[in-house]
Amino acid sequence: MANKENKKGDTTADLDYGWRFQGRPVLLHDDSSTIVDESSHLMQTALTQMSKEYFYVERCIQCGMCTETCPNTMLNMNGRFSPREFIQKLRLGLLDFSGEDLWFCTNCGGCTTVCPYEIPFIDVMIDLRNLVIEQGAGYLPPSMKSALASVANYQNPWMEDPDKRGDWIKKLNIPLLAKNNTNGVLLFAGCFPSYDERGKKIAQAAAQLLNKAGVEFDILAENEACCGDAVLRAGDYNTFEQVKKFNIESFKEREIKKIYTLSPHCFDVMKKHYFENNDDTFSVASFILLLHEIVTKHRLKINKTINKIVTFHDPCFLSKHNNIIEEPREILKCLPGIELREMEHSGAKSICCGGGGSGIWLDRKKGERLAEVRLEEALQTKADVLVTACPLCLSMLEDSARGDSRFERIEIMDICELVLKGV
Amino acid sequence: MRVLIVGGGITGLRAALALSELDIETIIVEKSSEIGGKVIEYDKIFPDFRSGKKLVANLIESVGSMSNITVIKNSTVTDARKNNKIHIVSLSNNRVIEVDAIILACGFDVFDATRQPEYGYSVYPNVITSVELERFLDKEGPTKGNLIRSSDSKVAKRIAIIFCVGSRNAKLGNPYCSRICCSYSTKQAIEIRENDEEASVTCFYMDIRTYGRGFEEMYQYAQEIGVKYIRGRVSECSVLSNGDIQVRAENTLLGKPVQGIFDLVSLSVGMMPCADAGELAEIFGIERDNNGFFVSKDEDLFPHDTSKEGIFLAGSITGLKPIRDCLLDAASVGGRVAFYVKNLHKSG
Repeated sequence: MANKENKKGDTTADLDYGWRFQGRPVLLHDDSSTIVDESSHLMQTALTQMSKEYFYVERCIQCGMCTETCPNTMLNMNGRFSPREFIQKLRLGLLDFSGEDLWFCTNCGGCTTVCPYEIPFIDVMIDLRNLVIEQGAGYLPPSMKSALASVANYQNPWMEDPDKRGDWIKKLNIPLLAKNNTNGVLLFAGCFPSYDERGKKIAQAAAQLLNKAGVEFDILAENEACCGDAVLRAGDYNTFEQVKKFNIESFKEREIKKIYTLSPHCFDVMKKHYFENNDDTFSVASFILLLHEIVTKHRLKINKTINKIVTFHDPCFLSKHNNIIEEPREILKCLPGIELREMEHSGAKSICCGGGGSGIWLDRKKGERLAEVRLEEALQTKADVLVTACPLCLSMLEDSARGDSRFERIEIMDICELVLKGV
Repeated sequence: MRVLIVGGGITGLRAALALSELDIETIIVEKSSEIGGKVIEYDKIFPDFRSGKKLVANLIESVGSMSNITVIKNSTVTDARKNNKIHIVSLSNNRVIEVDAIILACGFDVFDATRQPEYGYSVYPNVITSVELERFLDKEGPTKGNLIRSSDSKVAKRIAIIFCVGSRNAKLGNPYCSRICCSYSTKQAIEIRENDEEASVTCFYMDIRTYGRGFEEMYQYAQEIGVKYIRGRVSECSVLSNGDIQVRAENTLLGKPVQGIFDLVSLSVGMMPCADAGELAEIFGIERDNNGFFVSKDEDLFPHDTSKEGIFLAGSITGLKPIRDCLLDAASVGGRVAFYVKNLHKSG
């Protein structure tokens, strides 16, 4: 995908789908029969040169399971987004990049979990976006453009002052690890919990929980940059490499081995793209795992009863991408008075909030937001609180719920905030 | 001159007959309590709708009438070694037999539909497999040919058939096409429509691969009598409160989502190498391909020969085949083995 080294290397090395001919994996050849006209030929050449993912697309048998699973199909949109059609048009060279279609995919991973031929649709999508970003091949939504520029210049998507990144912790008076202490854990807050007023509450809750559980930790503050997940998924490889380099240097300087990220997105991108070569030096995990350990091993005194019915929204980057499904539920079960109700789609079949894959930077009209579909499902459970474990999910869900009388009844919280209520 | 045949399905039985006609003694080892294999379960076989049961009954009768065919039931091969040119094979009931040649004809196993949990097989009673549908359609079967669904004994009028369950699915380790599901499902759809004019049959398919003589005509006929074909793989089956099954898929030709409610959903399960193929391959030292099918020495010139002298392959063990092709394969392996055995004794 974004890994440049891999791309330059042998593009056929791991193209193994189980087809064998004379004991060797069956590989694909350039098939010119799909070429429609000169311009599609040019595009096909561009795609072919870009990545090996293009070859995977040739395997698609057009069964349509991806489209059926894609959360975008649950929206009442006229020209609905269809991964299957996307692939078909792509290999015919008929894709139209001039519309917003390319940016509707939230990289939730639903399609890849059902695809019988394991076609990495998300990787294909990211490479196509890269065509737009790097070569100007199509429409780039203005909100996306400014967010990407901001990450490149300010290391956060809102042109906030990089020096104020660590301000969220100042009011709390929590002692951080001494600067020369390299034991303990590093809390990687991420952009939304660092700057957004609502997001800060998540970070503060997490910090308070760590403090109460006696876990010594430090934050990177101004030495932290955007993790780059949304940047990478928007196809902006250059900016991603820039923030990745910045963060890795900060990690090396601070020398704390265990990194916990508040956002599942930071965790996913670091696990898969930061430390792929030297994974022994640093270990990165989602904060939910640390919280799970603290709560289930009774390192926190949870003695206040919270009499609430809750439902849990699985962040895609925990459930579908990293198979962390049971842990948050086990945490919720440890809270006295909590009744957990599952939504129609949960666990690995959860519906995306719309914030992944840089979707958080896309302005979608009311009635075309995935978060609304999710909120409707949450309402059906008659839960008081919709709990999630991802700052982006929280932001997307709250933004959609705000000012909509249907969703007034339901409170939206991060799991850290809920646990803190019980302490 | 004596030959061991592992597997008492149609291939094994037909091979035994072929050898018997050439005055070669055969021993059939069958692991289950009855010979006849899977075809004995099928009331009608495609494309000519003749009775599978009668076909197998004929074979079993002919085998029984031959004095030089011995059948050992409830028995499996546990070990094999070779002394000079003689194969010494141990069976599970402590019998040891000496033979000149061995034919492996242990066939296939049906894909376990619970491995595709999105279809709810074994969770929802009204989701059945094609093998079970075959029993429903059997006029002498438990339901006398009526589609009486087990949840509420209602006669099913709206039937969905889902193709490619466990086939063409790299994720489940079966990237290959099972070859006969399109045809047998079409045959079942025709039977349903012919038995009950009010019944509607909807087939969710990927590609229709009716390749044999008469197969494509059968497919055309199915469409003529009103079997509906929708191109799209079903993503999910869910159950409604009255036991009906809701099916979701994309009609990929229209690019539109389809949702249907059916009384009964049949999963056209694909086929896999038989469960003990690995064990047999190890005992006899024969290579298998990536999907678990046995590999012959030369797929074109000597499709029955293996890399081990005196061991031959026949039937679905080398790749999935319709009944006709299995019988053809069995007859042909008979000639090949007879040649080998006779040569052995001439020179020996």
